[in-house]
Amino acid sequence: MTTQLRAELLKHRSTPTNLGLIATMAGLVVFAALFHGLTLPGRTIEAPDDQLKVVFGWGGILGTMFAALAGVLSVTAEHRFGTIRPTLLANPKRERVLVAKVFAAAIVGAPMGLLAGALAVGAGVIAFEIRGIPLSLDTGDYLTLVAGGTVAAALWAGIGVGIGTIIRGQVPAVTGVCAWLLFVETVILGSSDALGAVGRHFPGALGRAATGQDALLAPGLAAVFLALYLLLAVAAASIAARRDIV
Amino acid sequence: MPAESHAQSASAAASRNSARAHDGLTFNAATGRSDESSDAVGVRSLSKRFRGTTAVDDLSFSLRPGTITGFLGPNGAGKSTTLRLLLGLSEPTSGQALLFGHRYRDLEQPARRVGALLESGDYHPARTGRDHLRVLQIAANLPAARVEAVLEAVELEHAADQKVGTYSLGMRQRLGLAGALLGQPEVLILDEPSNGLDPAGVQWLRSTLRAFADEGGTVLVSSHALADVAETVDEALVIAGGRLVATIRIADLTAEGRTLEEAYLRLTTKEAA
Repeated sequence: MTTQLRAELLKHRSTPTNLGLIATMAGLVVFAALFHGLTLPGRTIEAPDDQLKVVFGWGGILGTMFAALAGVLSVTAEHRFGTIRPTLLANPKRERVLVAKVFAAAIVGAPMGLLAGALAVGAGVIAFEIRGIPLSLDTGDYLTLVAGGTVAAALWAGIGVGIGTIIRGQVPAVTGVCAWLLFVETVILGSSDALGAVGRHFPGALGRAATGQDALLAPGLAAVFLALYLLLAVAAASIAARRDIV
Repeated sequence: MPAESHAQSASAAASRNSARAHDGLTFNAATGRSDESSDAVGVRSLSKRFRGTTAVDDLSFSLRPGTITGFLGPNGAGKSTTLRLLLGLSEPTSGQALLFGHRYRDLEQPARRVGALLESGDYHPARTGRDHLRVLQIAANLPAARVEAVLEAVELEHAADQKVGTYSLGMRQRLGLAGALLGQPEVLILDEPSNGLDPAGVQWLRSTLRAFADEGGTVLVSSHALADVAETVDEALVIAGGRLVATIRIADLTAEGRTLEEAYLRLTTKEAA
């Protein structure tokens, strides 16, 4: 298990894929926080909840999404380039390979979430300073934002491994994750109250709740629910991983 | 081959191997043994069907240690499917594909017993050759020194730190073979290993496989290049339509003054008709 984890971490380190993901994520987080902080009408970003969701929250949203993509790509790239064959020849215990990939993705995903949260806070604070809008969040809020984003990104990276194992095609897996996080959940959450109540327990919403963005769900509890999604994803992936490799 | 011969062959090979500890070609002296009760490769009544198409149909054969066996057949004959079944990448619909009497995934430290090269494209193009091998070496729990040993064995040290995407097809084949040799295995399973190799590369592959077999190793090599195979293998299994249609001993052909190509075409044409 430890050796497979080391091998999976080396796979992450030895291609520029993650660097590209991190650079893109960092650029988007800074852009989103600065753009919203500098351009939205002052009255819409003065309340703590608005500052959290409209400006600083981009760290959690983009951190979890890019961590999820790192997890997805760590599996789908193996199928795309055929490296899954030598991987399973070196270690034919597929469940162990899957679990090692989940841990490796979480180890890669956590600092991505940390970086995204820190950049969002930094860029947001700069934007508010420039406009002279007082900061309405306290230190605890910022800590929850960054720490929750770190945990959510680690869990979502693992969920990404599960998704990539189930949907081996790189394009459908990546577009599926992006569409779910950026579109499907948003549509459901914005619909009727009943559907919205269900939707806030979906994994994307739980990622945001883990950063303190859901007043009705404590960040710690949201992280626990998200961890249950991870277990579900790993269980489904362990069955999907038994399929033939062609 | 009787069990006694298996044991003698493996024992002799192990002692020869200990004298050539790190040349990258020989198999592992510590695990260099053949189970006395089992063939190195044993395929029994093996069948594989995909959505109504039968890729492998009641195929049976076994391989003796110290031999190079060609695995020949037209495109779509079921060669690659059989190799994937042997290596546990696909599950048989029925029958067994065993190595040393076990399924690949049930072998202890399989990379130390079986090395395989399946496709020339099984690499991440942005990863260096050395990192590709290091990933496999770590995952298979092999000594780090094996990476340098196999890079030297396949004469790829000069390009080890280049991204595999910059490699020629021949270099990728050599890297694949390096991966197969990492664990100093007893059995090599190679799918079209001479693809993309220049004449010098083919010659190198031939001598590499012969040296491996002379040390007691077992080689199963699929190929379309009949002329290459004829000079490399001791025996050829010919399959068509997923079924074994003939087992040809090269020595017999030579004695009869026939070529492998003539025999192969007659067999596969007859099967197709």
